This record gives sequence, C-alpha cells and structure tokens, in this order.
Amino acid sequence: MILLRLITWPYVRKHLLRSVLTTAGIVLGVALLVGMQTANRSVLRAFNDTVERIAGKAQLQVSAGDAGFSEEVLERVQSLREIRAAAPVIEAEADPGFPGQGKLLILAVDMTGDRSLREYDFDNADENVIDDPLIFLAQPDSIILTREFAGRNHIAIGGKVAFATMLGRKQFTVRGILKAGGMAQAFGGNLGIMDIYAAQSVFGRGRHFDRIDIGLQEGVSLKQGEAALSAMLGPGFTVEPPSGRGRQFESLLGVYTLAMTASSMFALFIGMFIIYNSFAIAVTQRRGEIGILRALGATRGQIRTLFLGESAVAGLIGSATGAALGLIFARTLTGVSATMLESMFGVAQNVQDISANPGFLLFAMAMGTGTSIVAALVPARNAARIEPIQALQKGRYQVLGAGENRLRRNIALLAAALAVACLPLSAWRPAFFAGILLTLLACLLLTPFLSLELSRLLRRPMKWLRPVEGALAADSLIQAPRRTSATVAALMLSLALVVGQGGVARTSLQSIDEWMNNTLNPDMFVSTTENIASHGARFPTSMQQELESVPGIAEIQPERLPRLQFHGYPVLLLSTELAKLGRRVKRHMISGDEETMNRLASQEKGLILSENLAALVKLRLGDNVELATPTGMLRLPVVGTIRDLSNQMGTIIIERSLYIRYFQDDTVDVFRVYLRPGASQEEVRSRIVERMGRQRHLFVMLNREIRAYVAKVMNQWFGLTYVQVIVSMLVAILGIVNTLTVSISDRRRELGVLRAVGGLRNQIRGTVWMEAGAIGLIGLALGIATGAVTLYYELQAIQHDISGMPFAYEFPWGIVALLVPVILFAACGAAILPAESAVRGSLVEALEYE
Amino acid sequence: MNRAVSVCLALACPLLAQDARQIVEEAQRRGKVNSQRYEGVLEVTAADGKVTRKSWQTTRLGAYGNSKMVIRFLAPAEVKGVALLVVNHPERSSDQWMWTPAIGRDRRIALQDRSTRFFGTDFSFEDLEERDVDQYDYRLTGEEAMDGAPCWRIEARPRQGKSSQYTLTRIWIRKDNYVGAQYENLIKDQPVRRLVQKDIQNIQGIWTARTQEMTDLRRKGRTVLRMEKLEYNLPLKEDDFTIMALRREQ
Repeated sequence: MILLRLITWPYVRKHLLRSVLTTAGIVLGVALLVGMQTANRSVLRAFNDTVERIAGKAQLQVSAGDAGFSEEVLERVQSLREIRAAAPVIEAEADPGFPGQGKLLILAVDMTGDRSLREYDFDNADENVIDDPLIFLAQPDSIILTREFAGRNHIAIGGKVAFATMLGRKQFTVRGILKAGGMAQAFGGNLGIMDIYAAQSVFGRGRHFDRIDIGLQEGVSLKQGEAALSAMLGPGFTVEPPSGRGRQFESLLGVYTLAMTASSMFALFIGMFIIYNSFAIAVTQRRGEIGILRALGATRGQIRTLFLGESAVAGLIGSATGAALGLIFARTLTGVSATMLESMFGVAQNVQDISANPGFLLFAMAMGTGTSIVAALVPARNAARIEPIQALQKGRYQVLGAGENRLRRNIALLAAALAVACLPLSAWRPAFFAGILLTLLACLLLTPFLSLELSRLLRRPMKWLRPVEGALAADSLIQAPRRTSATVAALMLSLALVVGQGGVARTSLQSIDEWMNNTLNPDMFVSTTENIASHGARFPTSMQQELESVPGIAEIQPERLPRLQFHGYPVLLLSTELAKLGRRVKRHMISGDEETMNRLASQEKGLILSENLAALVKLRLGDNVELATPTGMLRLPVVGTIRDLSNQMGTIIIERSLYIRYFQDDTVDVFRVYLRPGASQEEVRSRIVERMGRQRHLFVMLNREIRAYVAKVMNQWFGLTYVQVIVSMLVAILGIVNTLTVSISDRRRELGVLRAVGGLRNQIRGTVWMEAGAIGLIGLALGIATGAVTLYYELQAIQHDISGMPFAYEFPWGIVALLVPVILFAACGAAILPAESAVRGSLVEALEYE
Repeated sequence: MNRAVSVCLALACPLLAQDARQIVEEAQRRGKVNSQRYEGVLEVTAADGKVTRKSWQTTRLGAYGNSKMVIRFLAPAEVKGVALLVVNHPERSSDQWMWTPAIGRDRRIALQDRSTRFFGTDFSFEDLEERDVDQYDYRLTGEEAMDGAPCWRIEARPRQGKSSQYTLTRIWIRKDNYVGAQYENLIKDQPVRRLVQKDIQNIQGIWTARTQEMTDLRRKGRTVLRMEKLEYNLPLKEDDFTIMALRREQ
C-alpha cells in the first residue's frame, strides 16, 4: 500500500490521461457486459414476473404449446382427485392505441371459478373489484383493468377501451378496476381481465383454451400432481410449475443471449490488450525507478506485487465505473431488446424497470479486475526480472530480443499447425473449440513479428508519400514494436469481430433472401397482426372460403404456425395444404426427392424437417419421428429435409388435415394468397379489406411488405451486435490514442530537436498522423486476415452448436471496403490530441527531456 | 348414581341423534313437492350500502337431493336470459351449468368452484344445491326460539363423500311447521354465512318461507330473495332441464 501511495500515485498523476485511457478499455468492456446482461435479465425478469403474478396460487400449469387444446380437457383434469382447482386461461395481447402506453395483456378466465387460484377481490367492501359480476359474465364486452392502467389513461368504471379483435375493432366496457399490487402489477400494470368464453370468439380461439392453471389438494405434492396429470393427459401436454414458462422463454432467447454474452466477453478481452500495452510501456518507462527500488532492497516479489497491485486498482476503478455505466446503458438496451424479441418471437414485453443482479455486478467487476490483473501479469513479471544495474543504465529497450521473437514465432507456428490439425477432427467439438483458441493464440503471438515486418514494408511507401514525416513515423514504429504490437492486437481482434459478424450477417441475409424467393412467393399474406411472428389471435377456417370468393384470387393456402418443444428445442410446427404448396413453391432440398416428399407428406404419410432442426436433433431421411399431440403420439417418418429459415431453431412441416385431427385445432394464423395472372395486388387487397375488414381484424400484406418486414427484423437482430462491434472498435481506438500518447512522450526530445532545426508544427503533426494511419493500416491488414479465418469458425459454431443453420462462407467485401476508410479516419482522429500535445509546450523543456 | 346417569345418557344419545335426523327428515317430507316454480326478486346490499336488484324465474323438477333446477334471469336487461341449470344428486354433489346468451355459450361450473359467490350475491353456488338428509350427520343440540317461534336447534355435519365448503351447519327448525327458520354455516368453527327464512306462508298445503335473507358474516353483505308467483307440483317436462333447454329463449 505504501508503495502504491509513494510510487504509483505520483506516476498516475503525472500521466493522468494515459491512466484514464488505460482503464477506459476495462470500463467499456465491463459496461457492455453489464449493459447486455442486465437488459436480457430485465426482459426475462419482466416475463417471469408477469407469469408469476398471473399464476397466483396455481401450482401447476397444463399446456400444449402454442396450439392450445380442446375445452373437454378441462373436465378430464377436474375429475382427478389430486386436483383441488382447475382454471382455464387464454392469454393474448391487444393494442388499445393509447400513445406511449404499450400493449395490454389480456388474461381471459372463467370468473365463476378462477378466484380459487387468483386474488381479485378483498375483504374490505370498499375495494369491491367488479361492479356486478353477473353483468361482467353476461356481457361479452366486459373487461377489468388495473387501477394503474385505468388511472394513466383516465378510464373509470363504465368507461370504454377499444382494440382490434378477430371481429373487427371493438369497444369494451370497464366493469371493474383491479386494486394495485399482486396480479395487477403483471405486465407492468398493463393487464386486462376478460371472460374466457368471450375471449374465445374475440381472439379466434374456437373452443380451445391456452392452458389450465391447477391447484392441488392438500397433501398432494407437485410431483404427484404432475405424475397424475401427465398419466391422464399423455405426452402431448406439458405439465409444469408456472416457472417452467420462464424456462421456455429463456430457451427461446438462448441463441440471442449466447450471441450477446460472447460479444460482450470479446470486448473485455480486447480491453485486456489495452491494459497489457499500457503496463508494458510503463515498465519500460519506469525502468530507472524499478532499478532504484531494487537497489534499495525491494525484492522481485515486491516489484511484481506493485505492478499487479496497480493493475488491480486500475481494474477495480475501471470495473466499478463500467458497471455503473452499464446500468445506464441497460435502460436503453432493454427497450431495444424487448422490441427485437417481440418482432422475432412474437412475445410482447412491457419492461418497466431494469433488473440489476448484484451478484452479476460483482461478477462483472471481478471479471474486469481479473482481466486487468491477467493483462498485467507479463509486464509485472518482466518488471520483476529487471536487474538493478541494467535498469539504471540508459538506453533503448523497446527492441524485441531476437530470441524472444523467435520463441514467439515458433510457438505461433506450432499453434497454427495444431489448429490446422484440429480441422479434420471438428466433428468432435472439443477439438473444434481447441482449434479456435489455437488460431487466436497463433494470431496474437504472431502480431509483434507481423507488426514489425509490416512496419518495415510500409516505410518505403510512407517515405514516398511524405519523405520526412513518413520516414519518422515508420521509424517510430520499427524502433518501438512493444509499444505498437499490443494496440495492433487489440485493433486486429476488434476488426476480426467486425469481419466475422459482417460475414455472418451477409451470408444470413443472402440465405434468407434465397429462401424468401423460393418459399415466401405468394402475392400477399393475410394475417391477424402486422408482426407475423406474433400469433395471439387466429382466423377461423371458414375464412378460407370467403377469401377464395374474392375476385382476382387464384388460390389460398392456410397456414397454422404454433411453437412447441421438440427434443428440448422450441421449434415451429408448420401445417398447411402441402399438395397446393408443392405446386407453387420450389424447395431447396437437402435430402430426399422433392416430388416424393410432397406426395407422401400431403398424403399424411410423412413429415418434413428443416435442415437445421435435422442437424440439431440428428435425424435423417427415413428416420421415425414421434410428435406428442393433445390426442396422442403422432408417429411419422422423415420424408424430406429442406432448407427452411422460418424459425431459428427449426421447423417441422406436416399436412394440415393431420394437424387438425391430432391437435383438434382448425384455426389459421396466416393465409398465403396467390393472384390470378393480371390481377392487381392493390385492388385485390382493397377488396379483401372492404369485404372482411369490418367484421374481422386482419392485415393484408403484399409480398414486398413482408420482405421489408423480415429485413427490418434481421436488421434489429444484427443491430444489437453492431452496437457491440462499435464498442469493441472504440476500445481499439483508445489503444491507438494510448500508444500515440506514449510515443509522443517517449519522443519528446526527438520532436524537440526537429522543431529546433526548423521543423514546422504541421510536419510534426503529420508524423504523428502518419504513425496513427500506419497502425490503423497494420491493424486492418491483420484484422481482415484474422477475420477471414474466424468467420469460418463462427459459421461452423452456428451450424453445429447453436441453431443448426448452415450458412455458406461469404467474405464480407462490402463491409471490409467500408472498414478501410472508417478505420483510417478513426486512427487519424485518434491522433488529433496526441499530435497537438506534440507541438505544444516549451521547446527548451523538450530539448532537456530525458 | 353418577354411573347410572352416564349410562342413561349414553343410551339416550342414539335416541337423541335419531330425533335430530327424524326432525330433518320430517321437515324434508313436509316440504317435498314434485315441482316448483316462482319468480324471485333478488336484492343485494353490499357492505358499503350499495344495493343492486335482479329478478329471476326458478323452476324445479324433483325433490330434495334428487332434482333439477333452472334459474333464468329476467332483469336487468344486461343479464336477461342468463340461465343456470343445477342437477342435484342424492349421493354426490350437484352438477351446474351456466348459459350466457350474449356469447351463445354454456359453461360448466366446476365442483371446486362451488364455494364461489353466486354472481355477486351472498349465496355461494353450493348454497343453491338442495341438501338431502342422507348427506349429513345430525345432532340435536337444544331448543331455541327464533323470531318468537320455538325451534329445534340441530347441528349437521357433511358425511364423507359429500363435498362441501362448510364443516358444520346449524339449523333451527320450527316446531310448529317444520320449516327451517335459520341456517348458520360454519367453516372450521367460524360462522361464515347465515340464512334466515321469513314470511312463512302455506302455499298449496306446503309451508314455505317466501323471503330468504342470506348474510355473509365475513364480508358484511346481505342478499334478500323474495319469492313471488310461487307454484308447486306443476306439469314440467324433463326436457326443460337440459343444457339444450338453457339455450332456448323464453
């Protein structure tokens, strides 16, 4: 502590800017990690909170995925002696259209019996919740709102709230106000209660419920209850505590969470290089100080502890600042995440507060501090190894020792060779991930050598460009490789991340484009919502005939798209009239013959799997699949695997008649509409809206509008990763500023001499800018090369470990072309302040500097 | 001496218990009719003094514990046509369905939901069921005058197999006409509801309480049902007591 106070603090004060820049890398890395995790956690917490509040005293919930199940299941459940209460539920979202108020979560229940599970009223007679329960049940336009929502929107009992329903836009009469607290706080207070049977017609549920909430008899354990219900209902139903829904939602978020976490950790990793660079430079600059300390009796251990202590303190300060900043970021990120999740998965969120996890904050701070300490390990070790006599001698020590260089190169080449050797063994996942690490290790170890060689290569063109400034800049890089290589490494890694993400985005968008051309080829789509991922309301099957009678329409294909759990993955079950679909759509076949596949599947003799799902669950053509349905197990062979990008975790496609029979659900999510030749899309749309828009709530979207929507969702998805990329690049740019600052400091005498012999300020500035530009160029070259390699690994990881989606390797030339001017511009921008500091200040002082 | 008294009391207990059951049986026998119809006016007074009124028509076919009943709301306009079908069984709890004309749907009221208040009144769904004498065990606990009329005071406990929210019911049966003057329902020794039957008249030879006043002792609410146009032993058809019949408009 004394050493920190007497030795470290004066150094920090003297080089305050550099110290700040050193910690900035940790600050940004931790801020990103905390921000992303907190945003994710907040969204998940909001979801779980809503689930728990709505569940009330329900101990178990019975569901059958998105498909729901027939009403008659309720009586069967109620007949079990283990069951004390069984309350049917429908949940749906409605948009009341109040600006800035978000959506309303409608909880539809049977009020005659729901109170055995949920608290609606209170003993205090002043708090009677429902004005008249009989009128509430007798009138299908009855709704209960929370006091919070009603208050915000100035609605009293007897007031009206309108929203779109399957029967058109309807007004609902508020017949009760739910007191604040408990269930009323679900969905951020945006909760409405309706009668379940009224909700069935309003939301197009037919005679289905979404789930049944269960209260068990006294003395019956959860396990016993689950066992009794599962035995009676069969495998097509999910019986789980309410918290199980949170886990399902979490699995839906899985890919997204993984991507965010990986990118956040990467940013922290890049920040580590900034720390390493700063400490490596500090050790060099403080050699004299170290020599004196050693001469006075300080041990190697004490020297090492001093530098590690400095890094720990810097890391702690940086982490604490980063954590605080991250919580501020989280507020914005939460809203963005929630919107993106609703677009992609159709699950609306109303996140009111961010949910910070103190444990995770401590973890993030520990990560930041730990990263800082790890980054300083090598410089601290080097500092400890300095001999006092050596340290007190003047001279340059920036040159990489030949032996050291050779050792690094050899280890790098060995790592590269091992990485190549791992490639054929990639099917064994540990070998694959070892290959990634070895590749990165090889790139990092080669960075000092390659930086030096590229600096030498750049000397001639730089000198050609500006004879004096260029030569000076290049020489500065060549003579101080230690100063440069860590910064280059940081820039290399961040650019590799950009290239990798850009490559994934490019290939994803291309694949999606190809899939849309082949599969999303109807002229228009008739849907219940603008967000095609959200399926709260559904159309009745009878609507197909109505649509077919609209002039200009050649064919209608109904689609039902519930999500369900299959081998632990949240997959999409797509049911449609496959014979019709087969005539209109050209599939990208992966296995099987297209004609045979369409024929067998349309005859209910098989099912079709998406390529990514088949890879994830390791199913092949001809394998038998068991699908749990509310009416029993559906067993079918795989008659084809196709490229289908409808759902991240995969799609199962079956004939609609089979779905209706097994799931007892004939409702429709989307109608695919094909027009007659010559029919005008706009005119047909108008006819549909005119004929059916008044009695039904529907959206008619043209093909180009659907494509635009999909593109928007994809941009939202990649948009969040671009945020992380920008942060990573900021970290790298900070490194350049740091390096240049140190460079200016080291070369103060040299620059002073230049000015003394007549060098102009602009020429001094020029040399600094050229040095920055050269660092940027070297970083670009290495980053693009590394990115080209890591892109391969990223695509492999996506295919084999995340979603099963196989994407072709497409190098993102467009992004690279954009990166070059951006990085060079950023590098020159990073040089502005250091360049100014190089030309300011006293010339005499500069000449005296040593 | 003490032993003799004890023996006599022990011997007398079965006799006393038998009397309690006999009293209830007699009350049930005297009130037994083949069918019943009335129009009722229901007045609900909440704890805050707010009063709501509804009217309904009730028809019943059958007798205690083995009967079917349809309650059809007549007013106000918002609830007109809502109907409830109650099918009582002597050996088990009743089956109940509700028909809502505005949405064209019937719904079954689950067994576990019987404790719920009946549409905002102080009656619960279980209170609408008829009790059969064989569903309970009885004990005569004494005599007490209610509203000036001497009554037997009897305790009735649901037998095993009889699903009930109440653990005990105290019944005051008038000695003069065997009409239940008051029923007090308890849950775990705590009185929760009290039904007082008033305005007792002889209609077609059956002594009938034309006013029933149910008080929810926890919520401090009160519901009064006044029966008008009361008729017994009408020629009613079984087909009128089905779910299909509920769906038919009056």
